[in-house]
Amino acid sequence: MISTVLNTEIGAAGGSSALRKHKSISIGFCLLAGLLILGALLVPGFVSPQNARSILLLAAFLGLASVGQTLCALVGALDLSIPYIIGGANILLPSLMVAGLPAPVAMIVVLVLGTLVGACNGALSFRLQGQALIMSLGLGFAAVGAVQIYTSLGSQFGGTVFAPVPGWLRNLSAFNGKFFGLPFPPVIVIWAVIAVALGWIMHNTWFGRSLYAVGGSRTAAARLGISEFKVWTVIHSVSGAMSALTGMLLLGFSGGGFVGVGDPYLFTTVAAVVIGGTSLLGGAGGYGATVLGVLVLTVLTSLLVGLGLSFPAQQAVVGLLIVPMVAIYARSPHIRNQI
Amino acid sequence: MGSEITVRMIDVAKAFGETRALKKCDFEARAGEVHAIVGENGSGKSTMAKIMSGVLHPDAGKVTILGEKVASPVDAKRVGLTTIFQEVLVADEASVFENLYVGRDGVFRSQSTGDRRTEAAEILARLVGKSVDLDQLAGSLPLSIKQWIVIARAILRKPQVLILDESSAALDLDSTLRLHAEIDRLRAEGATILIVTHRIAELVRIADRATILRDGITVGTLGKDEITEENLLSMMTPADRRASDATEYASRKKALEAPLILTATGLAAHRSARLFDFDLPKGSIVGVAGLDGQGQDAFIRALAGIIQPFGGEVKVRSVDTDKMVPLRSLDDAANLGVSYVSGDRKREGIFPQQSIFENLAIGVYRKKLGPLGVIRKPTLKPMFKREVDRLRIKIGSPSNRITSLSGGNQQKVLIGRAFANDPQVILLNDPARGVDLGTKRDLYRELRLFAEKGGSVIYLSSEIEEFIGFADRVDVFFGGTLFRSLTGEEIAEAPILAAMFGKARDASVDFDLERTA
Amino acid sequence: MSATAFRQVTQDRSLYVPAGLFLVLLCAVAFRGQGLFTNNGLAGAILVATPLILTALAITPIVMAGRGAVDLSVGPLMGFVNVTLITWLVGNGITHPVAIIAWAVGLGAAFQLVQALVIIYVRVAPIIVTLSGFLVLSGVNLMVMSRPGGVAPDWMLSWGAGTSVFSPVLLLLLGAFAIWGVLRGTMFYRNLRMTGADERMAYTSGVQVDVVRIIAHMVGGVFAGLAALSYTALISSGDPTQGSTYTLQAVTALVLGGASLSGGRGGALGSTLGAINMFLISYLLSTFNFGTVSGFVTQMAFGLILVGSLLVNVFVISRRTVA
Ligand SMILES: Nc1ncnc2c1ncn2[C@@H]1O[C@H](COP(=O)(O)OP(=O)(O)OP(=O)(O)O)[C@@H](O)[C@H]1O
Ligand SMILES: [Mg+2]
Repeated sequence: MISTVLNTEIGAAGGSSALRKHKSISIGFCLLAGLLILGALLVPGFVSPQNARSILLLAAFLGLASVGQTLCALVGALDLSIPYIIGGANILLPSLMVAGLPAPVAMIVVLVLGTLVGACNGALSFRLQGQALIMSLGLGFAAVGAVQIYTSLGSQFGGTVFAPVPGWLRNLSAFNGKFFGLPFPPVIVIWAVIAVALGWIMHNTWFGRSLYAVGGSRTAAARLGISEFKVWTVIHSVSGAMSALTGMLLLGFSGGGFVGVGDPYLFTTVAAVVIGGTSLLGGAGGYGATVLGVLVLTVLTSLLVGLGLSFPAQQAVVGLLIVPMVAIYARSPHIRNQI
Repeated sequence: MGSEITVRMIDVAKAFGETRALKKCDFEARAGEVHAIVGENGSGKSTMAKIMSGVLHPDAGKVTILGEKVASPVDAKRVGLTTIFQEVLVADEASVFENLYVGRDGVFRSQSTGDRRTEAAEILARLVGKSVDLDQLAGSLPLSIKQWIVIARAILRKPQVLILDESSAALDLDSTLRLHAEIDRLRAEGATILIVTHRIAELVRIADRATILRDGITVGTLGKDEITEENLLSMMTPADRRASDATEYASRKKALEAPLILTATGLAAHRSARLFDFDLPKGSIVGVAGLDGQGQDAFIRALAGIIQPFGGEVKVRSVDTDKMVPLRSLDDAANLGVSYVSGDRKREGIFPQQSIFENLAIGVYRKKLGPLGVIRKPTLKPMFKREVDRLRIKIGSPSNRITSLSGGNQQKVLIGRAFANDPQVILLNDPARGVDLGTKRDLYRELRLFAEKGGSVIYLSSEIEEFIGFADRVDVFFGGTLFRSLTGEEIAEAPILAAMFGKARDASVDFDLERTA
Repeated sequence: MSATAFRQVTQDRSLYVPAGLFLVLLCAVAFRGQGLFTNNGLAGAILVATPLILTALAITPIVMAGRGAVDLSVGPLMGFVNVTLITWLVGNGITHPVAIIAWAVGLGAAFQLVQALVIIYVRVAPIIVTLSGFLVLSGVNLMVMSRPGGVAPDWMLSWGAGTSVFSPVLLLLLGAFAIWGVLRGTMFYRNLRMTGADERMAYTSGVQVDVVRIIAHMVGGVFAGLAALSYTALISSGDPTQGSTYTLQAVTALVLGGASLSGGRGGALGSTLGAINMFLISYLLSTFNFGTVSGFVTQMAFGLILVGSLLVNVFVISRRTVA
């Protein structure tokens, strides 16, 4: 699947410097292969269907949550509302179902709300540029606060909601879920489809190209009649929708609503984007790269878990590795060469 | 007046990865001379300037400035060498005053001597010709004032060696003359001034000697009397590439009688300016001239739909309906086939992280959209090749980043972007800024061809000699309004100059621009 | 000092919004009751607000140095100083004030020095370097101290009593202002601004941009060390879990204070105002009682106020560029 995404990226001969792209992507693959080999050598049971399934499942959640982060990074923004929308969706869905909405309707409501929060975010923050991350943080707080007010009206638990999760939703993203009888949860397929579609859209549609244009030079993009407002609003809406989706799928995974499920995604989405090689300053990178970043991050974590590292130690090791990983292919040129 | 050698480069080479920007560069300049460095786009002039300034380190060879080795801009400052780089480096978020004195002090300690503010106000008044508020943010100023800030920053340092890399490219004629006066003063004080420029008139006027670079090799140095357009061209360009000779076209009166394709009525650049009308006959080339800030820039941007004019209306003949349709926005401009090329390529032209291909093709994507906004890609490659050949853009691989090209070649990519759209009307806002002579001629030829096939051209330039033998009509702006339209025989230096200064038709202008051609 | 501050506010339009918000909040708080304006109220406020003000100050020079260098590591760095202070020093019987203060300040500066060197020589975008610092320190903090606990040195316990306005915590704050004031008086401040506004311009004009960046980081590190001291005083113990909260709050305070995260614009006064405003917002919200949903309403209101004041900022900034 990754190779398909990447191929569409490379296939777009004009896309961006093919050589550079090849380089960063092949290094990404090497890194991934190296981690897999290390895992196979060091951790018994690392190479097993179970482990592959769990890696892909966790990667799918992170991957879906990182869609919005990647798109935002491409225009030089960061979306810090992602964890809050994930958490909000994760508790709003069950409480809507408790309130009597049929599950599909409730899901659509949550998705629409997530998209709306994202749209607000984009519409309000496109003027702020570098400061946009604080706007998204503020909106995230506001959204999750509002959701919790709603869910806790008439109950004591604001942050956790218990409701029976329908079997099909659980099957979508539970560890032992089945995809048409095949032994892996459908969420992996959902991620794969979204990744391929997104990779293709980014390189073959006017919208995709205008996103890169806005990220590269706002004024030059404006001269081509590209509306920066539209681009920001759309990508933030996508980010909101994807976060809401991730939150709902996480409900199937865990079985109960908990507002804090999104918290780890605050900086892991950023880390995945960065490890993939998308510049946080905008204009260069893509979702294919993020897919690689997500896989590297997930496999690395799985390896560290296999080696018996505690959560804090895992976090420290991942942190330590980010700089060297990024340094391999995303060093900025020396200032002497930028004059 | 010493004539000792102040700058010396021996056998210098410099490569950027595959690109060998300088292969063998030998150079000498003396105290008290103005020494020009000329060459085609991408021949390595800026690289040479950066090596002298200590920004880049040579791969091989020896460089001495005033007898010392310069390894960084801090060294250059100590030795007394100041460079005005090709790219106008001004901090938008800082005040004019801060921009003028950046880098003058130590990390903690101030090297201040005397009253900086008075000194700054004086020099800006002298250079810009009017007083500039020192406390306003530099970001809100037009490019030409930013260029003056950079020049003033250099002159305030009282350099022993001053390098100007295409610093007059953003200046109008009047300003160029003030710059020359400044250069003359420095020369008289015994400084060495190195200028890089593509403006032949400027060279002839001011340079004592000229060293010519061709593909990273210094091919020779000309003395004052030998500096002529033909000499320079023959040394700059290898014989096989010297394709287009300077065929002088006559102004075509007939072209001006064609039906109108674009009209503008009741326009004004600012509130107090007199209203004016403008029309563009199909298949004609109209030049737009004026000193800085006389409204011509706003005018051409209004035609492109980038800004709204103060009142008035712009109309363009629609290809489909053959009716005159109002043009009010960029979208209208795109639909009506009006393309715009900016001279400020860094700010409103290039996408620095994207490839050369993408930078050229992005202008036509919109015309090649299938359902759902999908770009039909197969048609793009031939289009790309056509434009690269047409404009002789010197590129490596199309997938290299645009920033790997020299300034002039980047500009050509942007012109290609405009051509690629097959526009009806092409608006060029000082597009030849930093473009070499050969390329300029190529560009004129292509625009002529474009016009002969029925396209219409509006060409704004700060170099009046560009219009001669090229434009069918020249519209001169003065005081925020269209001051005079010149056709036929009137398209010559004296009448254009007179109009630019708002003088009567037959008045002579106090200074003459010597031009040997 | 307040006179110069006043002059700065009237001159620098990016301070209009934070200063205006400050006045509005102050009136609102006064309207809600006199609690804050008593000796104890003020002392408590200083105690609670100081760690936030100091972390906001700690990222100010780093952000000003440009390249989009939002220092995400500041919260965990403060936490790191805090937990090592409690576990390694106090835990081993080292409680001498000089040793404690030197450790805090030295550790903060040393860590920032490392980050600066990585940014300069490895040439990875600063935000990535500080993200890495954030993750490493967040992990390490939990490894040093797995849950909140420990006790601050005896002499520090009285700091956190919050009974007097003129407490040592206020001295920490004034110390930081003094350091900044001295730097502002030198050319370093202008060099820093220029480096942040356009590094290539500064470099070619002969500013030693690397030296400037290193000093900016180290000053930030010293402030982070002071922040850790005030934080330790506030909680009288160690807490490895608050890093992420403080990072987000510090960055928010900075932005509310009118600084630009892309460099060149901003200053200590703005950051301080931003941090005080954040404190006042929380304080104001805490005076209301929304029953069981109180926490959530506070969160939502806080978010909305953030959004509102950013929008006003945009308005002022865009007016400025038009003018
Ligand atoms: N930083 C760089 N990285 C890669 N290639 C470069 C770099 N700088 C310059 N080059 C290449 O080196 C060659 C010389 O460039 P240079 O900028 O010196 O040309 P120039 O003579 O100043 O041209 P112009 O008149 O267009 O400004 C060009 O082919 C250019 O593409
Ligand atoms: Mg050049």
